[in-house]
Amino acid sequence: MTTQKTSLPRQRAFLVDVERCIGCFTCAMACKNYYHQETGVVWRQLYPLDEAIYPHRERAFFSLACNHCENPACLNACPVKAYEKREDGVVVHHQDRCIGCGNCIRSCPYGAPRYNPVLKKAEKCSLCHERLDAGKQPACVQSCPVRALRLVDIAALSTTDAANAVQYPAGYPEMPQVNPSTRFIMPRTPRVVRR
Amino acid sequence: MQNIELPLVLFTVLSQAAVGMALLLAVRSCGCAGGACATTPTIAGTGENAPGSRTEWLTATIVMGVALLASLFHLGHPEGAVRTMAHLEKAWLSREILAFGAFAALLAVAALTGKAGAGLRAAAALVGLVALYTSGMTYAPPAMPAVHNAAPLGFFLLSALLLGASFGSWFAGEGSQPMLRAVLLGSLAAALAVYVIVPCVWASGGTVMQMTARAWLASPLYWARLVLGIIVPLVVMIRSPRIPRWMGPLVLLGELAGRAVFFGATVHAAMNLGAPY
Ligand code: SF4
Ligand code: SF4
Repeated sequence: MTTQKTSLPRQRAFLVDVERCIGCFTCAMACKNYYHQETGVVWRQLYPLDEAIYPHRERAFFSLACNHCENPACLNACPVKAYEKREDGVVVHHQDRCIGCGNCIRSCPYGAPRYNPVLKKAEKCSLCHERLDAGKQPACVQSCPVRALRLVDIAALSTTDAANAVQYPAGYPEMPQVNPSTRFIMPRTPRVVRR
Repeated sequence: MQNIELPLVLFTVLSQAAVGMALLLAVRSCGCAGGACATTPTIAGTGENAPGSRTEWLTATIVMGVALLASLFHLGHPEGAVRTMAHLEKAWLSREILAFGAFAALLAVAALTGKAGAGLRAAAALVGLVALYTSGMTYAPPAMPAVHNAAPLGFFLLSALLLGASFGSWFAGEGSQPMLRAVLLGSLAAALAVYVIVPCVWASGGTVMQMTARAWLASPLYWARLVLGIIVPLVVMIRSPRIPRWMGPLVLLGELAGRAVFFGATVHAAMNLGAPY
């Protein structure tokens, strides 16, 4: 569970509080509702933790979208420069430039870019960059009823978040070469109450 | 099994066949310097006693052309294919298109002029090898731990040698046949070892590599390729003093089946999110 720092002056990122998350899918639905994605295309998805990782009757979930990596595999693989890494660290996919070769889909270790079969192009979470630029929160972050998703800058994490946040929890591929920016707060073991 | 990506199967296998043909043509011309190709037909109009008839260059050009054409069917927007060289500084796919474009151009010059001198033969072989390398890097993404290494390059080089020797034997003179037989025999033996050992190595690796090993071994195409594309040709070549004409199509079918497994059964890291890696 090592944490790799960012060398960027600014890196906006999702902080996923797995302890708070109740697996309600509101974030995924808010994303879908805001962007009206085609059937089967998802930018944010909930992944239940396997019992080998979280062996309790209570379930725990990873709510994942694009990780806005420091060295994005998608951007490095795209032959037509459809990806851009902004100064605030957000990795934006410019769909107008995409020719639908699927190379980013093959290359991203986290399965973030998806194929849109209607437009015949790739697409992914671009961290609601237009909303950010208008001073708003991403749709998923704003919708979460238990505040399990937060938008942070990992180049300037608070001391508490820095102490608690994990970059590569079990159940999430460790890819130091891309350096994903998402951080996780892991769930505590449930307290067993004897009756 | 995921999508077998038929256009990519055709593009990679056929482009590697063309590289193999150009590579072994260059090797044959080295052999000719020592007089090994005394019976090789002369190049039309040049009187030069070197390997590589116009028909052979034309065949390699057509194979490469079909490969490039097939790759267009992989794109959601083929009309944007001209822009694929926009990211040469980082994207291996851009470099792959540039390298194969240059390789196809060299093949076409040799086919059109019918005068493939030593320089052109060497250049085609060299650029073909560079193109093969770019393919090896393009199809080794970090998202697929089983092939995020030199395995694709090794697979592709073997394909080039197997196909280049099998189809090259259609055009080569008697003097080059023993060399092509030796290349085919050696590549078949190496392919047998590689395609048996590599899944075993994956089976002892991390979770996603193990999933890939299971998916490959569970695929009927993997076994069809191993038996029909490698073992049968190997047994035939051990007994036969020269490469039979039907060897090319048989090896090609094996390579197509094997590449379908490569694209269809290699597991993506994201398939296991939430479970131990
Ligand atoms: S998670 Fe995937 S799509 Fe997002 S920036 Fe990283 S490599 Fe690119
Ligand atoms: S699918 Fe589009 S965005 Fe992805 S690599 Fe190809 S051109 Fe680039």
